[in-house]
Amino acid sequence: MSVSRSFVEPNDKITSSQAAIVLNNTMLGAGILTLPRSVSESVKTPDSWISVLVGGIIVMLVVVIMLKLSLRFPGKTVFQYTQTIIGRYPGMVWCLMLILYYVVIAGFEIRAMAEVTLFYLLEGTPIWAITIPFIWLGAYLVLGGINSIARVFQIVFPISLFILIVSYLLSLRLFQIDNLRPVLGDGIYPVIQGLKSTVLVYSGCEVVMTLVAQLEHPKQALKAMLTGISIPVGLYFITIIMVIGGLSVDSAVTSTWPTIDLVRSFEITGFLFERFEFPLLVIWLMQMFCNYCSFFYNSSLGLSQVFNLSYKGVIFALVPVIFIVTMIPKNINEVFELGDSIGYSSILLFLLFPVTLSLIALMRFKGGIQYEKP
Amino acid sequence: MRSLKLVFMLLMVMVVITQSGCWSSNEIEDLAIYAGMALDEGEISTTEREFEEKGGAYSKQNKITATVQIVPLKAGSKGEVMGKTSPYTNITGAGDSILEIFRQFSLRMNKPIIGHHLKIIVISSQLLQHRSIKQITDFMLRDNDIRPSVKIFLSSEKAMQTLTTKTPDEVPSFYINDIVQNQFRTSKIMDPVLMTDLDALMHSKQSFILQNIIRAKKQIEFSGAGIIKGDSGKWIGTLTQEDVECINWLTNAGSSGVIKTKNEQDETMSYEIKEMKTRVRVNRGGDDRLVFQVRIEGKGRISEDWSVEDNPASDAYQTKAEKLFREKLTSMMEHLLSAMQSRYKVDVAMFGEAVRIQKPHIWKEVKANWDDTFSKSRINLNIDLQITEFGSTTK
Repeated sequence: MSVSRSFVEPNDKITSSQAAIVLNNTMLGAGILTLPRSVSESVKTPDSWISVLVGGIIVMLVVVIMLKLSLRFPGKTVFQYTQTIIGRYPGMVWCLMLILYYVVIAGFEIRAMAEVTLFYLLEGTPIWAITIPFIWLGAYLVLGGINSIARVFQIVFPISLFILIVSYLLSLRLFQIDNLRPVLGDGIYPVIQGLKSTVLVYSGCEVVMTLVAQLEHPKQALKAMLTGISIPVGLYFITIIMVIGGLSVDSAVTSTWPTIDLVRSFEITGFLFERFEFPLLVIWLMQMFCNYCSFFYNSSLGLSQVFNLSYKGVIFALVPVIFIVTMIPKNINEVFELGDSIGYSSILLFLLFPVTLSLIALMRFKGGIQYEKP
Repeated sequence: MRSLKLVFMLLMVMVVITQSGCWSSNEIEDLAIYAGMALDEGEISTTEREFEEKGGAYSKQNKITATVQIVPLKAGSKGEVMGKTSPYTNITGAGDSILEIFRQFSLRMNKPIIGHHLKIIVISSQLLQHRSIKQITDFMLRDNDIRPSVKIFLSSEKAMQTLTTKTPDEVPSFYINDIVQNQFRTSKIMDPVLMTDLDALMHSKQSFILQNIIRAKKQIEFSGAGIIKGDSGKWIGTLTQEDVECINWLTNAGSSGVIKTKNEQDETMSYEIKEMKTRVRVNRGGDDRLVFQVRIEGKGRISEDWSVEDNPASDAYQTKAEKLFREKLTSMMEHLLSAMQSRYKVDVAMFGEAVRIQKPHIWKEVKANWDDTFSKSRINLNIDLQITEFGSTTK
């Protein structure tokens, strides 16, 4: 089978626009449904939109660091070059942490998706009946390699973007600018408080370190990655503005899924749909599926590269592992706690490690002379 | 190899056929959809009393009475259904928890009730006198079927009676839901308070008002508003229709309506508002009280004038009329302000919002007992009403 070792196949490359969409779909998932609550809880003033923007800029800087690091090792993913930089065994340990992180986040996305589906759409369906088909379907997609994944993402993203924007436009009837005022009424401190929880929603940007290796034209990497990250920053920003403007801070913090509640707060008689939460949820399920597939792909790629295993075998071996992770949280609170701890480990693993790795690489390879020539 | 493929294909087809469809679907014909809900003080209805006499009792203290209005889904054409039966069924039960009452309905009905299409909730103000609105609406906020777009109303009488109006071929819940749309005709109708708004208001512990519905001889009327005190969540009193109108003008929520006054000859004059804009500025006064400068600017036309000798086209007439209407509006506003500041000591006209937005540092100090601070503050009215036209007659 040719796909079994697709990561070594030189022709399995993606274009820059595909890479941008893959990065975007990796970040845009369940986070958008809970973001207004989690940020407002820590900010407590209507200034959460500033936190989201500042958080986005910080994450962009981190992405640039990751990108520069990856560009030193053309055609190599983070799982391959980490061992070159910090040695075989420390590198392996770090890659394992990375893989574990990806597996947990993949399981989390599936679980969050199942929770939303069970609560609003398919009450009474057993949870495994929702999660298992998704996990299998994801395995099938991931088997096809990065190219198939990117193409699916290219189909899904415009649809989900369209539905999201339509839902927001329709929710304008609830929008009140006074809900977003005053700007910086309590000074800058609440905004800094909120940064912690905004960085969480950007977890997923770590895939940059594998994506760059798969680019057809690594020269366009910076442009592609920054485009890829600007889309979620923009969408998160619009989400915060619409939800806080439509529901006010007080309502956003008391709601479990504030973004869905915003869409549930109005009815449009005589339009295509009277209630927009159903199209939004159904479409957003696809988005969460993409999210999950991306993490699934990265973890399987990592395992197969670090231990030199067959890519196909790793995928099938990971399917039960992801299912177990999906079922670990006992209730919705534990799901959110898991989401928070993913965010924190994201900060630890990826806001600190790329910097240290870059520094070590700088010192050891003196500007990467050996690797920089393509 | 080929036969294996065929077997595989057949297997796939079978999987698709057997596994598609909804796991836990319910046919819509088999559900009892309720469109309205009324909450009253706990009191057993006659039907229930009879049930209990015959042994149909369970452990409860009757803290609350819940009524739901079920809209029937009948097979057959609309004309067939019309006229023969009443277009709705109400079912009432008393108990301690709304969810339990609803589950108890399942013992009395052939279909399960479902809240996806709930439009309105009417709560009786008697119930809110000794239970906080947070306790009463908790179930509706948590439930996943009931949408946050549900409108909340109060009734100064029995709430369940507002759902039994005699409107031909009309479901009272939809009827009440539609009255809200008349806002463009009169500002005596408040912006509907949705479940989402209620959630925010209760969380911020502000006092607020809910549209009051009264009923006489099987007809209903939207009349004034009930005040819910923020810290206790309980009903403390009612504002009149004109108070509600003034609140709508003050908060820029409504810019329609009529101001009626009389001239020196005691004849009626009516001013129809076309535009209304209010600006509230807040400052700290010398004596540490807050001072609100309220500027109200209105434009409109004279739509009715019963006086015989006046000449509406003259400047003198216009100045005189503008003064008369300004005096009337001032006295209406003063009535509202005295109700808010002296009688009930609550702010339900969003003066707090002005402080929160314009003076965030003051707001931080006063927000904990805002209602007290508000009732001690000074409010200066500055009203300007312009008459832009006189209708299609000049005499």
